[in-house]
Amino acid sequence: MDDDGLVARVAAGDDTALRELFSRHAPWLAARLRAALPAAEVEDVLQETFLAVWRGAGGYRPGGAAGGWLWGIARRQAALLLRRRGPAAAVLPDEATAGARQAADPAEVVPARADLAAAVAALGPPGGPEREVWRLLYVEDRPVAEVAALLGVPPGTVKSRAHRARRRLRAALRGGAAAEGGSR
Amino acid sequence: MSGMDAGRPPGATAPWDTGPPDVDLGRVWTGVAAQVWRRDPGRVERLAGRLLRSAGLARALVATPSLLLAWIIATVVVLFTGAVATVATGTPYVALLAPAVAAAGIAYAYGPGIDPAWELSQSLAVSDRMVLLVRALAVFGLNAALGLAASAMSGAAAALTFGWLVPMTTACALALAVATVTRSAIVGVAAGVAGWVITVLSGAAASGQLTTAVTSAALILPYLAFAACCGAVVLYATRIPRGTS
Amino acid sequence: MNVDITDLTRRFGRTQAVAGVSLQAGAGVFGLLGPNGAGKTSLLRMMATVLPPTSGRLRLLGRDPGSYGPRREIRRRLGYLPQNLGYYPGFTAAEFVEYFALLKEMPPGQVPRAVAAAIEHVGLGDKARAKLRTLSGGMLRRAGIAQAIVNQPELLLLDEPTAGLDPEQRVAFRALLRDLGQRATVIVSTHLVEDVGAACTEVALMDAGKIVFHGTPDELIARGEGTGAAGDAPLERGYSAVLAAARSAAAVA
Repeated sequence: MDDDGLVARVAAGDDTALRELFSRHAPWLAARLRAALPAAEVEDVLQETFLAVWRGAGGYRPGGAAGGWLWGIARRQAALLLRRRGPAAAVLPDEATAGARQAADPAEVVPARADLAAAVAALGPPGGPEREVWRLLYVEDRPVAEVAALLGVPPGTVKSRAHRARRRLRAALRGGAAAEGGSR
Repeated sequence: MSGMDAGRPPGATAPWDTGPPDVDLGRVWTGVAAQVWRRDPGRVERLAGRLLRSAGLARALVATPSLLLAWIIATVVVLFTGAVATVATGTPYVALLAPAVAAAGIAYAYGPGIDPAWELSQSLAVSDRMVLLVRALAVFGLNAALGLAASAMSGAAAALTFGWLVPMTTACALALAVATVTRSAIVGVAAGVAGWVITVLSGAAASGQLTTAVTSAALILPYLAFAACCGAVVLYATRIPRGTS
Repeated sequence: MNVDITDLTRRFGRTQAVAGVSLQAGAGVFGLLGPNGAGKTSLLRMMATVLPPTSGRLRLLGRDPGSYGPRREIRRRLGYLPQNLGYYPGFTAAEFVEYFALLKEMPPGQVPRAVAAAIEHVGLGDKARAKLRTLSGGMLRRAGIAQAIVNQPELLLLDEPTAGLDPEQRVAFRALLRDLGQRATVIVSTHLVEDVGAACTEVALMDAGKIVFHGTPDELIARGEGTGAAGDAPLERGYSAVLAAARSAAAVA
């Protein structure tokens, strides 16, 4: 059964479908989270992620993007956890910038982390407009309205800064991949 | 982990042994499953747990794997039909029916006849005798409450409204004693109901009044004495676990 | 010593089911072999505090099960799988295991996780919310094993645990036994001799209410060598040899 079917089954209350989803996706989600979080917190985030999947599967709109949907939930749970436990030192890329999710191979994790650090640096100095928007919007996962209020700028400005930040990250990561000579 | 799955070669790794080596996915799944598989105790069970000071006893009471729910429904139907009949005909059916219905319910509160896992239940920290006591009291209390409501509804005199509580105790004690000794709920039900019917009929034969069995004050002491004897039998029967081989 | 038994007897009317058994067992997997009617189940029942002994001394987990308080403490740390375990058909596997976890007075906060772990441990992970009436015999047996291990017992008593399991599941079950035997005393009663050999560190053979052999599986094998006793496998031959010797000794006496 494909992922869409499994999520639909989970929404209908089928726990065996959740178990199957877990066995398919938990390993790569764990690997990706591990790039930014210590092992114990990865475990906590994963647990909360799949409980959120269990409760919120009804909100999934089928279309073959289950991996991205799961990663979105995982990111949000990680942000919640980091918010509870202290300032975010970790950076978690969203689906669009980091490319396909097939990076389940732990060997890819280390260069990914280095690339990520370099790419974030490309956003500008800490405290700069794009960097701040990036931090508040993507790392701490706050809604646009809240970010606008915090920065004292209109929501439109927040969105355009976010757009610029994503473009710079994409370019930096692609440049990094090209430099490595491999494809992601 | 799940090494006993059929279809998976013994010793093979569970599907979530992949992933980062220091992340225990098995443990993560156990945490998820714990919340997904658990049975959420309802309000009644939680309240019972606090009153009884034992979550296990509350679960045994509420999740009784028996016909108790069917009995509750039957009791409500019988007693309220009786109330309606009483209003219509003047014969106090509620008073006459309540003991029989209670006896049936009580017999089903006990084990071996209908509790398939009874041998295991004798090895548990929450003793099966405690479970029996709590279930029996709950059945009794429920029946008394329903009976009183039905009695009041049917406008019976006070003597009749309360007069059947003592005979009900006796009928229940008899049913339970027979059930525990014969290890069969059905035999217990039969004994309790039959005993009650005989009592009512002999009372009627002796005095000409159908309701003698529930109204005669002279019967109260004999009822209570008989109930006490049956209670002793129950205690004896549940104290010595009887293996057969 | 989790189990300390001296001269234990159990009589039913005129029959002596257990006729003077002495046994000490610490951590590890202990096999109890013997033909039907040998008294294994009665012995196990006494260790499960289900049956009181007629005479003799019984100490479990350092306590005397004769009085209420210690018996309750023993039962909290006990896991028992009777030979005929009934099932509540309307319960799901998870509800079944959870029911017994609560009746063993596990702290309620720990119960959900323990239930999930026990169910995964016996491989019923995708049947957790299936009603028991839909499960096969082997799966029901595994549910029974799950309720026995849910409270991480210090004393685990299993009466014919492999009934209904296919050979592959038996292999996995033996691995589970070895794992459990690291910390706890596991006593397995079975008439399947080869089941025992692979998993047990010690073996006792019962016949007519008495223990006629007590030693390691290798010692049992040694008893069978060169005697021409019946059996397809070394342990079975040892088993037959010991039984034959015990019976002829009893006949002479």
